[in-house]
Amino acid sequence: MNEFVLVACTILVLIGTTAAMLERDPFNKLISLAVMISGIFPFIIDRGLLDVAIATALIAPLSTIFILMVCRRMPA
Amino acid sequence: MLDESFRILIAAVICWLNFMTVDLIFKLPESGGVCGATAIAQEVEKGGGNLNGGFMMGNIVSSPDASAGTLLASCGVFCAGLFGGFFAAVLVYIGNRICYDPGYAGTTGCITATLIVYGATQAGFAASDFIAGMVIAILTIQGISYVHASRLIARLWKVRCRLLRGCR
Amino acid sequence: MIAIYVCAGIAVYAALRVIFQRNTMRKLPFLNVVSFAVTGMIALLLPHPITIAAAAAYFVGSTLESNAIASTWAGGIKKDE
Repeated sequence: MNEFVLVACTILVLIGTTAAMLERDPFNKLISLAVMISGIFPFIIDRGLLDVAIATALIAPLSTIFILMVCRRMPA
Repeated sequence: MLDESFRILIAAVICWLNFMTVDLIFKLPESGGVCGATAIAQEVEKGGGNLNGGFMMGNIVSSPDASAGTLLASCGVFCAGLFGGFFAAVLVYIGNRICYDPGYAGTTGCITATLIVYGATQAGFAASDFIAGMVIAILTIQGISYVHASRLIARLWKVRCRLLRGCR
Repeated sequence: MIAIYVCAGIAVYAALRVIFQRNTMRKLPFLNVVSFAVTGMIALLLPHPITIAAAAAYFVGSTLESNAIASTWAGGIKKDE
């Protein structure tokens, strides 16, 4: 992994983390967490850990779905 | 052979034409497949876009359609040759079934993209050009401006209705 | 070598658009662009046959996540039944 890709993935993780801290709405928080997780993936792949990457890719959406059960929007 | 940036632009045009043709033939702009796609379409229309274009953007977001098929097919050809492309088609079909979608558009787009990308690698292109080209192509639909993109899709949808019957 | 630069640049651009868009539903197309770009980066970083499975798993996972967020925002799990 060269420097440009390294910096780009780091920027993705930092953007996602900062936005997840600052947002108030729970749906916007979950979208920011999705940006953060997508920034983590190239680091896992670059080490050659394909099995870890597949497991993480399947576990992360499931955890999001379980959080969504809590914050279902009430009909106005 | 050609310069790499020029090849990426040509590959972007080819990918754009491929996934837009397959999506229009399989009637993605007609209605939302799941209720999340319908919600995205209504928000796009509220912001000044078109409802039919919003349906197609919502369908691309909420299930892997021909654009995802094109991307994964070029990844498959890049990693493992012609066999990798067909393996990617099987994976796209499984992904479509997970997301409550019939899965015809994604699988058809993946198979046609596999044949196109494999043919282009014989003609001097690299498969990595098609990966970058597909990312540029999806950027023009989803990432620049949802108002103009949805109006463009609605205009193409009218042309498709005039050429091929069978839509409302 | 330009290909992975294109993917990385587009990922950062789309992430910035996700953050500065205020409407929740209109954030999701930009999130989709981020996942396309990251899938391309995954395939370009490690050309190995199992990488296809990793890329497809990541892409289907992020699509399922967007699908769940949009459906729950629309209040529609009960509406589907």
